Amino acid sequence: MSPSKTPPIDESVRRWARRRLLAAAGLGWVALWALPAGAAASDPKAFVLDLRDRALAVLRRTDLDREAKIGALEDLLEEATDLDLIARLVMGRYWRQATPDQQKRYLELFRALLRRAIAERLDRYSGESFDVTDVQKVDDRDTIVRTLVQRPNGGAPYVVDWRLRDHDGRLLVIDVVAEGVSMLVTQRSEVAEIVGQKGIEGLLATMEERLKKQRSAG
Amino acid sequence: MISSLSAFAGRWQTTRLFSAARLVPLGVCLLAGCATARGDVHDPLEPVNRAVFAVNRVVDGLVLEPAAEVYGLVVPRPVRRMVRNLLDHLAAPVVFVNALLQGERERAGITLGRFMINSTLGLFGLFDFAAELGYLEQDEDFGQTLAVWGAGEGVYLVLPLLGPSTVRDFVGSAVDTVLLDPAGLALSGEAQLARLATEAVVTRYELDPLLDDLERSSLDFYAAVRSSYLQRRRAEIRNGAPAPFDDSVYRETPDESFEDPANR
Repeated sequence: MSPSKTPPIDESVRRWARRRLLAAAGLGWVALWALPAGAAASDPKAFVLDLRDRALAVLRRTDLDREAKIGALEDLLEEATDLDLIARLVMGRYWRQATPDQQKRYLELFRALLRRAIAERLDRYSGESFDVTDVQKVDDRDTIVRTLVQRPNGGAPYVVDWRLRDHDGRLLVIDVVAEGVSMLVTQRSEVAEIVGQKGIEGLLATMEERLKKQRSAG
Repeated sequence: MISSLSAFAGRWQTTRLFSAARLVPLGVCLLAGCATARGDVHDPLEPVNRAVFAVNRVVDGLVLEPAAEVYGLVVPRPVRRMVRNLLDHLAAPVVFVNALLQGERERAGITLGRFMINSTLGLFGLFDFAAELGYLEQDEDFGQTLAVWGAGEGVYLVLPLLGPSTVRDFVGSAVDTVLLDPAGLALSGEAQLARLATEAVVTRYELDPLLDDLERSSLDFYAAVRSSYLQRRRAEIRNGAPAPFDDSVYRETPDESFEDPANR
């Protein structure tokens, strides 16, 4: 970000997310739709590139209507991400405190909200693509693949890190980090806040409410 | 795991305070931010912060957001690009000084080179010619400098009109504004006001898709903004390197001490 000079009205907003990472979170999800199945699945870089190509292929198809595209992207998401693990990690320590019934309802709501998010972001996709710039092994299970997202309509490129987990040779995405902002960490922080204030039932109620609102908004 | 690691590091530092070896864990902590693992949030002023946040959103909806929308509609893209370039150009000295204060000689050099190239070939900063030559914009401010020097983050703040901050970032922007900004000192009162207003509107315009997306997808917008702001600042302090020591987020081990809202 560029330096703060004198504080303009939203200078600090500017500091937390500069134009470079505009829509970075959104694009992260956009790219997340596209994950590869079995092929190349044990090489992190090939996995992420395959994911990109499959997502772009769906996005560029002209023979599918909006609903069909959303469906195809959802399938890719289910296939290439460990959604159950992500959902549990977002809950953090509260996962163990939830009853089996609450856990089941939470997972359903988590998926339903994700579907809405995919639909919304599909509508805003504007031609972004990315290349792999670095691959770092974190430990024996996790690898971070760093990508640089280019925006065709101008604007500086920005960095998105993909965190992949190796499940016995099969890679799955467990987090997307745009310019340092992790989707998982952000959602986890929200959940901790809501559960801390209203308990697990309160969280489920909040998720239901949000889902209703999004459905009525179209 | 993370918290126990940093607690261990903390004890170790205290007991070995006068040993030469103390520099090692201290250095690691400065780079990695031991005191602030990735998910950590310190927001004891939350009730006040939430109130200010709510007021800011009203003001934003009444003033800034409409102004930003008009800016996007009326000003064509190439001109918007020049406006952004000019604002960044005026701010370059702040980046340069802070890079030096952090001992980042390469980043300081790039910023100086950019300033000279863009002042001339870039027509007084209207074009970012330096970026075409491979000298990309660097990003430093006094808040980051304080972090590099070892100052703690302090509590999370939501400032009236200015938005998300921390004690450290608030001090940082005050120092940047009052002491380290030659453009601000050189410009007349009106010119400086115009610069600030432009910066505010332009930035709001640029952030609009991100804020909109975050608001739609979040369950608790306040918490989402707070977490994003803190993560982003910590990433800037690391100059973009992936966050180290934050693996507890990715583990399912039951660790009751991790991210307990009661500890915030």
